Amino acid sequence: MGRSRVSSLFKPHFRPEGHFDRSAAHKPIVVLENVMKVYRADAPVLRNVDLTIERGEFVFVTGPSGAGKSTLLKLLYLAETVDEGRVLFCGKDISRLTDDSVPHLRRNIGVVFQDFRLVPYWTVSENVAVALEVMGLPPRVVRSRGAIGLARVGLDGRGDDLVRVLSGGEQQRVAVARAIVNEPAIVLADEPTGNLDPVLALDILGLFEEIHEAGTTVVFATHDRSLLEVAPHRLVVIDDGRCIEARAGLQDLGEVMRADPMSSVH
Amino acid sequence: MTPMKQMPLLFARALRGVRQQLGTQLLSVMTVGLALFCMAAALLALENAGAMVQRWGAPVRVTVFLAEGATGSQTEALRSALAALPEVANARYVTSAEARATLGEGGDRAIASAPVELFPATIELQLAPAAVTRARVAALADRVRRVPMVADVETYRGFTDRLRDMLSSGRAAVVVMSLGVLLTVLAVVSNTIRMSLAARVREIEVLRLVGATREYVRTPFLLEGAMLGGLGAAAALFALSLVFYTTRAHFEETLGSALGLHPVFLSAWVFVGFLIGGGALGAAGSAAALRRGLQA
Ligand SMILES: Nc1ncnc2c1ncn2[C@@H]1O[C@H](COP(=O)(O)OP(=O)(O)OP(=O)(O)O)[C@@H](O)[C@H]1O
Ligand SMILES: [Mg+2]
Repeated sequence: MGRSRVSSLFKPHFRPEGHFDRSAAHKPIVVLENVMKVYRADAPVLRNVDLTIERGEFVFVTGPSGAGKSTLLKLLYLAETVDEGRVLFCGKDISRLTDDSVPHLRRNIGVVFQDFRLVPYWTVSENVAVALEVMGLPPRVVRSRGAIGLARVGLDGRGDDLVRVLSGGEQQRVAVARAIVNEPAIVLADEPTGNLDPVLALDILGLFEEIHEAGTTVVFATHDRSLLEVAPHRLVVIDDGRCIEARAGLQDLGEVMRADPMSSVH
Repeated sequence: MTPMKQMPLLFARALRGVRQQLGTQLLSVMTVGLALFCMAAALLALENAGAMVQRWGAPVRVTVFLAEGATGSQTEALRSALAALPEVANARYVTSAEARATLGEGGDRAIASAPVELFPATIELQLAPAAVTRARVAALADRVRRVPMVADVETYRGFTDRLRDMLSSGRAAVVVMSLGVLLTVLAVVSNTIRMSLAARVREIEVLRLVGATREYVRTPFLLEGAMLGGLGAAAALFALSLVFYTTRAHFEETLGSALGLHPVFLSAWVFVGFLIGGGALGAAGSAAALRRGLQA
């Protein structure tokens, strides 16, 4: 599974009319230009953030608690909108997309959270299938692709179990399966290992690396230093409202993270 | 709009939502059913009262007061002319003396001893019920009034008008009550759907996260509301039919035969209208809940 699969996987249908824009395949998947995000006027969370993520990249996003990691991801799947600047997704400015187009954008983006965000009274299969059903795929296709998704996260055979009986690690695998089952162009993970013990955390990280190897772009927000140390991927630090490239040396990161009381938890 | 091919899935979601809180949902179907039962019962009563007014509201009797000095042959000519009219079943000449005798039957000495001129001679018309309508009787009275030897014509509209007044105030009461019922149903359904929304926030969050359109999220709740309203209406009609058909025989044996009334049930149109209206009302109640509940 090399890079060649990327373009065949990527079907940008986030515009309602669903035209395939060939030129999009050669553009960076995500570009943030001069982005500013303000919740409270006196303290902007993000200031003049510029960030480019190429297709097929694996990017860690880290920074102290409250730095704006979750906010950055929210700007990408449009749970929040920018106050200034632009967010380009495959070359398209999504920062001012109409409400009608947001669902179409989200079908191209898989999101995984710290708290799993599964429906506890649904089965494993149903939690995964929902991402295909909303696209209006026929039930037969939903079943077969759902099964493939579960197999990819190592949960084949668990489809009929209710999600609430699963362990935390298994639940997160279900969430990952839901995020990747419709083969999105990019997967965003917001502290996906935050609720898991260190061994499970490495497990889940491994899962995201497999997804990355299959050609999907992964943005992984975490303040777990041990993960950053074992996986030599690009590293973006958000601090004081700005994005800094920091893979050059994790020791620089150490400076930043020491200011963060949360980092000692992991 | 949601493509039709997604409807089975969305319907299944709605059914699942109903099952998830079966107790609450049954309770609200019953409440809706009770409110609609009251409305349907009132409509039924109105429909039968209308039939009764039709039956009894038509005038049955007309009295033609003759002017003083009408001769016997003129009177007889008028009587036979009136008797020949299709509206009239029977026309009887009542002399002044007979009128005094009839009125004095109660034993009133004052009447019995009063001069006979005080009691005008009349022609009493018995109307043919099949051929009579209010308008035709009024026209008849007008025509007869213009005959020179006729002093006045009494059609006894007072009783008829009172029946009609009662019927129209009954109609107004039913309209007011129906408005109350509609508001009740809206409120009940919208509260139930608000509870459904609260119970399924996670589900809604997930749907939005994976790219469900607004319609995809809303439709199951609208269907759920329509089901509550429609089932409530069906329950109301079922209960009303039960009551109607079990008591009808008894009613016909007693009061019905005395009054010559055959109770009728709601027409098929009202029936269908009730079911559709119940469903539409439920969907509207749900839409109200969604407008507030789905903003976040
Ligand atoms: N909806 C909101 N309204 C107001 N303030 C908000 C909102 N969302 C986030 N914030 C604030 O913005 C800042 C950044 O929040 P964000 O959740 O992005 O941080 P984070 O880097 O993800 O932190 P953590 O590592 O603890 O998850 C915080 O100070 C937070 O309080
Ligand atoms: Mg966060």
